[in-house]
Amino acid sequence: MRLFLLALLVLHFPAMAQEDMSAKAWLENMSQALREQEYKISLIQLQADHIRPLVYIHGKIEDKEVAFLEHLNGPPKNAVRVGNTVTFIEHDQPAYSINASRIQGILPPAFAGDISALESGYQFVLGGRSRLAGRPGQLVRIIPVDGFRYGYQVWLDMDTFLPLRYDMLTQDKQLLEQILVVELLVLDDVPAILNEAYKQPWPGVIAQPTRDAGDNWKFKWLPEGFNVLVKDSHRLMGSHEAVEYIALSDGIANISVYVARAGDAVMPEELVTRNGLSLATERIGNAEVVAVGKVPAETLSRIAKSITIE
Amino acid sequence: MDKLGQEWVSAAVDGEVDEQALAELAANKDSHEQWRDYHMIGDAMRGELPKTMNLDLSASIAAAIELEPAILAPAQPKLEETQVTKKSNVIPMFKQFGQYAIAASVALVAVIGVQNYSQETAIDASPLPVLNTRPLVGSVTPVSLQTGPVQQNQGFSNVQMKEQRQRINAYIQDHMLQQRLNNGVKIEDNSGVDSIPVSN
Repeated sequence: MRLFLLALLVLHFPAMAQEDMSAKAWLENMSQALREQEYKISLIQLQADHIRPLVYIHGKIEDKEVAFLEHLNGPPKNAVRVGNTVTFIEHDQPAYSINASRIQGILPPAFAGDISALESGYQFVLGGRSRLAGRPGQLVRIIPVDGFRYGYQVWLDMDTFLPLRYDMLTQDKQLLEQILVVELLVLDDVPAILNEAYKQPWPGVIAQPTRDAGDNWKFKWLPEGFNVLVKDSHRLMGSHEAVEYIALSDGIANISVYVARAGDAVMPEELVTRNGLSLATERIGNAEVVAVGKVPAETLSRIAKSITIE
Repeated sequence: MDKLGQEWVSAAVDGEVDEQALAELAANKDSHEQWRDYHMIGDAMRGELPKTMNLDLSASIAAAIELEPAILAPAQPKLEETQVTKKSNVIPMFKQFGQYAIAASVALVAVIGVQNYSQETAIDASPLPVLNTRPLVGSVTPVSLQTGPVQQNQGFSNVQMKEQRQRINAYIQDHMLQQRLNNGVKIEDNSGVDSIPVSN
């Protein structure tokens, strides 16, 4: 009997270790797993009324991260990452490469980065456990510290710490975006496709459009945790309108602020799309400030109002 | 093989002989070739011939069967086999891509400069203004305006509405493009850019 209890205790130990882990430790393990492990994830991305099946394969070759993202439905659309270069291969244009640390568009790149950087804007809270993609998963809530940004929740695989489900939620728990993993395969060695991708001569990183140093814009107010990433002046891609541009980020949410000469067409004061992307406009004299980002429209409105020039 | 023998094979092909005769036929190696030919003639007459044929299929199958060890118990499906990642059709695409050699700046414009004029006419007719933008990943997502003065501004002419929509699109597209471009930038290493002091 004593032996049995002892065996039970030993068996329980790894589980106990997980029991004691903080929400932040779970997220840090996820970040490490996303960067270090070799895996293949089949997932479904739900956005407003769009459902997209995708496959993401990740591995390491000669100490470089190699990843491949493929859209399974519709015209071919893929992205390949080797080290810090991401190449987009899309059916309607030649492939092109940019500098990026993650393939954008599925999970927030911050999830594979430094989790501590998110702490000024979010709190991490452990939730319950449930079964996802046939595996036991631990829920970790990423709760915004204020009402100026959206919340997130991720379910992590108990063995590998890889994400099994990701939700983006409004303050009143309305779902904006969801990623559901259908199948998670942990690979023993680098799959052939990544080896192939690693050997391919990808196009060189495109020269960034010239980034003139922008004017000295200041914000009288920014939500806690938001920092300026980039500022410059450039022309908008579609309309070729000259704008002053400032990029803000709190690690997960990204906001673009534009200052431009007001056009003939009046921009809407606030605009919300169903996948969480909002836009707010503030008119100051004959200039207009436009803020765009996946945060509540009121936040953008307040940011647009708070901009000043030195 | 004589004429009579040929007829006999022909009858076998049509399934007009008994099992014992079939066994005899199986033992007679010379008739195998004819067996195959008759089947092929039959297939051709019924128009069931495949596009490409390995004419000596029977020989290769026989060789393969000889190589195969006798199976005493049903083989267990190997676990590894299910784990093998199937080669997808992406690899040929990698190869194909090497042919592209167009100025990257042009490509960049093409990425984001999506102006869906053809759809816009249809949108104008709908009660809810819808803008078409292209998300970073995935197909074009129609997005609807839920708030904002757009719907209420009855005084807007169609031209103004269209212009407004184009401007909104331009901003959203640029925002999305910036998400791709800024992705390499980390908050810590914006040394080249003066950070803006923030007062709360």
